[in-house]
Amino acid sequence: MTAEICGPGFDTFFSSTVIPLVAYATIVTSILIALAYMVGRATANPKLTLWSKTEVVQLVISVFSVFTLSIIINSFCIIDIGEVAVVFGLPSPGSNSIFGAAQAYLHESTLYAHNAMTVVRYHLEAYTVMAYLNAFACDFKTGSIGWGCLFGYSGENMQPFGGHGATMAALNIFFNGSIMAFFTSLNFLFILLFIYKGFVFLFLPMGVFLRAMPYMRSFGSLLIALAMSFLIVYPLMLSVFWLMRDTVVDASNGFVPPLDPAMTNYLDEYVFYDEEGAGSAGQSAAAAFVGDSAVSDTYFPNDPNVVGAIMFAANAFVAGVFLPTTALIAAIASVSYLARLYGEEINLTRITRLM
Amino acid sequence: MKKLLIFLLLIPMAFAAWQSVAGVAIMISAGIVAAIYVVGKGFGVNELEMMGKEEFFQLIATGVLVVVLVSTDGLLNAISTNDAFTDGQATMQANALSMIGNTINEMSGILSTIQSNDKHNQVEGSKSSQCSIMGTGYSVSGCGGYSMLATPMSMAGGIVGFSIGELSAVQRLIHISNVYAFSLLLPLGIVLRTIKLTRGAGGLLIALGIALHIMLPAGIIFSEVLVASFSAAPESAPYTGGATSIDWSNNECNAGDTMPTFGDKTGNEESAINVFNTMRANISKYMFSAMIRGTLGPVIALLLMAGSIKAISSAAGSEVDVSALSRFV
Repeated sequence: MTAEICGPGFDTFFSSTVIPLVAYATIVTSILIALAYMVGRATANPKLTLWSKTEVVQLVISVFSVFTLSIIINSFCIIDIGEVAVVFGLPSPGSNSIFGAAQAYLHESTLYAHNAMTVVRYHLEAYTVMAYLNAFACDFKTGSIGWGCLFGYSGENMQPFGGHGATMAALNIFFNGSIMAFFTSLNFLFILLFIYKGFVFLFLPMGVFLRAMPYMRSFGSLLIALAMSFLIVYPLMLSVFWLMRDTVVDASNGFVPPLDPAMTNYLDEYVFYDEEGAGSAGQSAAAAFVGDSAVSDTYFPNDPNVVGAIMFAANAFVAGVFLPTTALIAAIASVSYLARLYGEEINLTRITRLM
Repeated sequence: MKKLLIFLLLIPMAFAAWQSVAGVAIMISAGIVAAIYVVGKGFGVNELEMMGKEEFFQLIATGVLVVVLVSTDGLLNAISTNDAFTDGQATMQANALSMIGNTINEMSGILSTIQSNDKHNQVEGSKSSQCSIMGTGYSVSGCGGYSMLATPMSMAGGIVGFSIGELSAVQRLIHISNVYAFSLLLPLGIVLRTIKLTRGAGGLLIALGIALHIMLPAGIIFSEVLVASFSAAPESAPYTGGATSIDWSNNECNAGDTMPTFGDKTGNEESAINVFNTMRANISKYMFSAMIRGTLGPVIALLLMAGSIKAISSAAGSEVDVSALSRFV
């Protein structure tokens, strides 16, 4: 998978938009610093002169950061993460850049969570259909014929499959969990695509300019630190998780865990569509003449796997929520760390509470 | 300082495989640090000079971490294969996986029993009797005593299902650590820690590798040891052992029976009370397995893991806020 950030369109955006903006910000900031230095010298104000000298150093650091970032982006597009796996003695999961691997991991974890959601939903729907099935057994039976209904309507009404309340309660928790895993994974993917589309690059020129402005140093540092963390640390962590795809998202098993009965039995939801309408009447007839198992077999020809569905959803939570959140935590921790590199203390721990 | 720099530059020659990658990373960083220091010294910029010094010490710390990891590989393996943790298995991770596997099997058995009883109970509770001739008739249901059991059964199914899911998530994390902790997370963490920009990510990967590989299985084993010692005590008798099965064939509901036959109770009422009493007697046995073994044990292990990620990442030079991870527990 080629990430958009490594494509020719992005090169154009970087060279024709970001670099000129950074250059303008640098020139404007340099002029302001030069003016301040001039005024400082003219008025013999040592505070102003010292401020100018400090800001020149900070400006160099800011521009150097942008330069470093552009080198790292190019490197991340060139480095083959599959070869990195080989260096660490692991089988190569295929050829991919670091940015591409990050995107691929979130694609796959989203697919995995979606598969888990489908399997749990399949079971829930089957049990719901069966729970609502009613049977009426006429009294005074001879074989399967009840004489109690011949001249009137005498018999016993019941739900042969019961409510399946306990099963549905267990599955409902994990249906919610797999939906959460699916949405969270999708959310992290959108954050990554948003980063690749270049929103953080606009932080760079703003950061370079604002860092030199009075009282705006923290904000400027935060912008540059955010850009660097979300362009370096976040994709890097996700690409590491992509190397673990065979275990984390069961990539070698078609993105379903290897359980028995197989999870692939429950991915085809058309079984419900096919059984609607005339199919329902057929089921009623089958239940009356063949037995209740005829209905159960329609939805579960290979038996249900409630425990497997629950385990699948739990695995999807690890792949779609736990690991991407760890990547985001690392990125946020790096923001604080990088801001410290620029001489600022920024505490972003409250942001993690939003997760 | 010059001698130490040369020593750092020679590190790659001492190792192979990932260690050489770590060595190259240290060497490149040492070059950058030297450049920063020289620029700072040459232009009299104190900030750069200080940064160069600080980074230099971080490089030494990383070099030490590489050496510690290589030399403690055996130590961590010794912990993993220590008899106190392995209980006959090859490693503590294998032991933890075996324990989790057993608990999942037990929980699956309990869920299956709950499903079966729930189904029987609700089939009985759904029964009603009707009779109508020429549009005139009656409909009665004498099975209300069973219907009231549906809610607690649903709750029981939810609790046991949750514990299966939680155990399965822990099982998956230990599987991940078995395959990747030493081969990928720890060495890559050290390589990333070398570079200032990725020091946070490196520290977190190191912490994640150690926490998943050692702390998580240790938490499972400790809680199972507590369970085993409690189960061996005579006081545990009401909470352990097999549950009594419900004899549904003798407790079926006759929907049309609304007349008292046992004193002031109907036959259906008597059967429903029998079912309720058997279930109530079984609750303590299910509760111990589901709440202590299936839920509390994994929760303790996961909290131990989250806490150790914070502590180890701090020791690795980049403390991360793991409160978001702890909230998943």
